[in-house]
Amino acid sequence: MKAIGARLPRYEGAGHVTGQTLFVDDIRLPQGNLWAKALRSPHHSARITSFDASKAASLPGVHAIITHADVPRNVFGHLAFLGVPADEPLLAVDEVRYLGQPIAAVAADSEEAAQAAVDAIEVEYEEREPLFDMRKAFDPDAPKAHHWGNWLPYFGGELENAGPDRRRIRKGDLEWAFEKADTIVKGVYRPAAIEHAPLETQVALAVPEPSGRMVVYSCTQAMHFSAGHVAAHLGVPLNGVKLVSSAVGGGFGGKVDSSSDTIAAVLALKTERPVKWRWTREEEFLCSGTRAAWHIEVADAVTKDGWILGRKTLTLHDAGAYLRHSSYATTKHTFHCAGAYTIPNVSFLAFAVFTNRVPSTAMRGFGVTSTSFLAEMQVNRIAKVLDLDPYEVRLKNANRIGDTMPNTVVLKDPSTVPVVQAIAEHAGIELAPEYKAMTWEPRTGAVLPEWLVEQQAKGGQD
Amino acid sequence: MKITVNGAEHELASPPLTSLLNALRDELNVTGPKVGCQGGNCGTCTVLVDGEPRRSCLLPLAMVDGAEVTTIEGLGTPKRMHPMQAAFHFYYGSQCGFCAPGMITASVALLERNPNPTRKQIQNALGGHICRCTGYVKIIDAVEAVARGESFDGAELTRSRGGEATPKGASA
Ligand code: FES
Ligand code: FES
Repeated sequence: MKAIGARLPRYEGAGHVTGQTLFVDDIRLPQGNLWAKALRSPHHSARITSFDASKAASLPGVHAIITHADVPRNVFGHLAFLGVPADEPLLAVDEVRYLGQPIAAVAADSEEAAQAAVDAIEVEYEEREPLFDMRKAFDPDAPKAHHWGNWLPYFGGELENAGPDRRRIRKGDLEWAFEKADTIVKGVYRPAAIEHAPLETQVALAVPEPSGRMVVYSCTQAMHFSAGHVAAHLGVPLNGVKLVSSAVGGGFGGKVDSSSDTIAAVLALKTERPVKWRWTREEEFLCSGTRAAWHIEVADAVTKDGWILGRKTLTLHDAGAYLRHSSYATTKHTFHCAGAYTIPNVSFLAFAVFTNRVPSTAMRGFGVTSTSFLAEMQVNRIAKVLDLDPYEVRLKNANRIGDTMPNTVVLKDPSTVPVVQAIAEHAGIELAPEYKAMTWEPRTGAVLPEWLVEQQAKGGQD
Repeated sequence: MKITVNGAEHELASPPLTSLLNALRDELNVTGPKVGCQGGNCGTCTVLVDGEPRRSCLLPLAMVDGAEVTTIEGLGTPKRMHPMQAAFHFYYGSQCGFCAPGMITASVALLERNPNPTRKQIQNALGGHICRCTGYVKIIDAVEAVARGESFDGAELTRSRGGEATPKGASA
């Protein structure tokens, strides 16, 4: 407990400020290493009609050129260990679905030699019309972005006995809420995709051991996850790989995809030499996963004194070209569409939509920041429409101990009330006495109208 | 090509158009300066060339023949930090650590030129230095602290757990 309230020096701080912290790119092996570069798709969507790396292979300094045929297990899914079917090839087979998708990779004596070989690979493409706008994905004549269809065809379960193609959360009686409401307050929110842009680009150093084990110096944010991922693509059990975690030069979620570890490992396997793959800044911006873009439509059933009786949402999550973690992000998003508020009657619906954009991935809150945005914007809107104080609307509808979330979780210590009160205080807002005195204890008749008591106590379903 | 790096003289074998950054990192194994963009846009490769902050990714060796180069490693070590390093450490000016090599060398050069910069002048001097984690407030706080003459007890700063490090000799 010595740490609480104390000013502690950062554990790695002394290394950071003296240049002694070792990032992956700083690791030096006595035997040196080869350098990797990838041939990436110049198109958003295309069929690969021909591929010829023979000229490239004969260039000086080139040790190996790998394609999908060299990857022991090419297709793998980021959530395969949860039973989610795999959909993403490590190296493209006969088509590319996003700009920057890796098709082949080269290991050479220097970065320049590797790049020269990449440039010498001859590929022909047949371009297809790409799909960028999630809202168009459902049109019958929309371009096809994914072999499963334009949206994830199942949530949970095996693909063979496909479950629902949407994530749905329902609780209470939405019809009752909309009938009983004095006003309906609607909103459409479209948070855009964001690139994490860590200052250290994706980088990996793969070192094959004589025993056959593959050692990867990784900048991953998710060690065991990446270990599983590398092992899967190499087609070896987990003890066939060893991941060495190094300092991470910024990640913000963008370094859970193991983007560089896997291809570096396959090149090391093929060349039997250590291989380093360091993405350029341009690759980082164009080809690494982003936070997903979202399209969210909301309708709230509210009383004139500011009670949110019900909420209906429709969400489209932009997964990009492959699933990666999108079923997880969509599920998490859907669970949280009520924000930090207790809304007794809800119906939340979400689709994970495929487009020809770079696959989206984790970023700070992973699916939930979009719900906080929609929930807080809605409260502001409700307050504006009804001419009420937005703080009071927040406190009225705030989560309380014992409230049931739409996903059936019963809240033990929800902090909405103290947090909103603290914000009001810092902002110099004088709350009315009954709101100032409010606590997170279960609601009583004092603030909660009698007819809502039973409503608030309802559990979830679905 | 000859350069002096952190006090040691080196005869370089890299070709004259090699960037100083690559020569430092790949030929001399001086890995403090980082590769952030290789295009002059992020600042993390900054080193002092004859005392001036320069982006080493944009400097061909041919232009630094005979120069005196100081990298982050040349400023101090964990037990003997340069006051700027200590201030960055104390004020939590370095979260992931990737931008620190450039931020700190550029800040040292700033105080050489202008020992009492305003906050605005610090901002301008660090304008081309990108930090994606810490944000800029703590970094600027650290530079201001050094300009104010605050100094820090190195032993306390490197202790990893427990206790409170206090700035000493603050002359606000
Ligand atoms: S690497 Fe030199 S400015 Fe970014
Ligand atoms: S601390 Fe990570 S970029 Fe500045």
